[in-house]
Amino acid sequence: MTGHDVSDDIEVFVEETNLPIRLRNELYSTLEERDVTTDQAEKIVQATVSEYEESRVDPLDPVGTVSAQSIGEPGTQMTMNTFHFAGVAEIDVTQGLPRLIELVDARKEPDTPMMNVFLEDEYAENRERAHEVVWKIEATNILQLGDVSTNVADMLVQVSLNEDTLDERWPTVDDPVQVAEEIAATIESNLDVETVQQGLSIEFGPEEPSYRDLLQLVEELREITFKGIEEVSRVVIRKEETDQGEQFVLYTEGSAFGDVLELEGVDASRTTCNNVHEIHKNLGIEAARESIIDETMNTLEEQGLGEVNIRHLMLVADIMTNNGEIESIGRHGISGSKNSVLARAAFEVTVSHLLDAAIHGEIDELDGVTENVIVGKPIKLGTGDVDLRMSAEQQAD
Amino acid sequence: MVDVTNHELVPDHTVLDDEELEEVLQEYNIDKPDLPKIQRTDSALPKEAEVGDVIKITRDSRTTETAVVYRLVVK
Repeated sequence: MTGHDVSDDIEVFVEETNLPIRLRNELYSTLEERDVTTDQAEKIVQATVSEYEESRVDPLDPVGTVSAQSIGEPGTQMTMNTFHFAGVAEIDVTQGLPRLIELVDARKEPDTPMMNVFLEDEYAENRERAHEVVWKIEATNILQLGDVSTNVADMLVQVSLNEDTLDERWPTVDDPVQVAEEIAATIESNLDVETVQQGLSIEFGPEEPSYRDLLQLVEELREITFKGIEEVSRVVIRKEETDQGEQFVLYTEGSAFGDVLELEGVDASRTTCNNVHEIHKNLGIEAARESIIDETMNTLEEQGLGEVNIRHLMLVADIMTNNGEIESIGRHGISGSKNSVLARAAFEVTVSHLLDAAIHGEIDELDGVTENVIVGKPIKLGTGDVDLRMSAEQQAD
Repeated sequence: MVDVTNHELVPDHTVLDDEELEEVLQEYNIDKPDLPKIQRTDSALPKEAEVGDVIKITRDSRTTETAVVYRLVVK
């Protein structure tokens, strides 16, 4: 029934428990492997259940504190180095402690933004089709397309385009001159000048002869993005084993998640980026939560700290996304929005919190943990929240 | 615009009707504002969702088979 090769009796034992499905499957495969008798199986199942119930969180368990410790302790073993070539695709990615800090601080822009772009259908199978998508993403500027020279005598900027590069970057256009026309039009609209285009060369100059304006034009010309997405400076293409077979996958330096999702050939159901704010904007808060968990877990795993339980990271992500938007952990985010003055003051910038509270006449209700530790009262956690009284009758016995 | 609900990071979002909502609130013994929030502008929100609605989210959980959570739509 469940697809496991165990007797019906054993199956009944396992199915009657309230174990989660993953644990049940693991149990089945172990029982299958060991070839146990029904009696033995019953004992194994009972032992598993009691171990499972033992490991569940008790009422009034301080899960947040436990999570903080469980992430913080392995964190002390992480590298302080910012840069490292990540295992994939020669792209620089921030790793280790700086990346973890960046994630929990919910920075608007990561230090090294990147995207992992999956392709669909023939784009994923065929290298040339995949390259079409690459050129739609990678920003192309004038220096990649040809030579730029300044003719001071005639006050002209001269661009001579390279035919091979044009063929490569505009694979869908056969005639390079047509591309040159397109480029000339882009220059005209961006720099507000008249251009003279002949074959693969383009010439233009400032309205009034001026050496400064000429150099200014060259500067501005270099800034123009002729094709692709401005934010993405480099795209690496790799053939990889994915869950849909061997496919071409793109890794990008720089990210523009929303723009990429709209491109033809991009698989909008698997493509991701490492900026949780972009994920939130394009895919919503739940996807951002998933992304925070994935990113923090990957960061830890890359440092050999994969034994940190995923539940701790799930708790962090839950708290960060509780409000419907991404909040940082820290005085500007979660810790800064606590109700208690003393709890906020205990975290960072003590004096200014106390001063502000005094000016506004704030009252601390002493509901939380931190503030009760400060004033020396029992905290409402674990045994601290349970009152035990003995009645007079019981005392007599 | 691409349909983001197909993305593998996006779980199922459905609007809860009043009856179900009452059950949920009773089960957890909480009021509506105690729920986690979701912005009205959230891309994964079903079109018919309005401010004040409660969304039922069915996630693929990392620790059990599926996990159900609720979010209140806010401005």
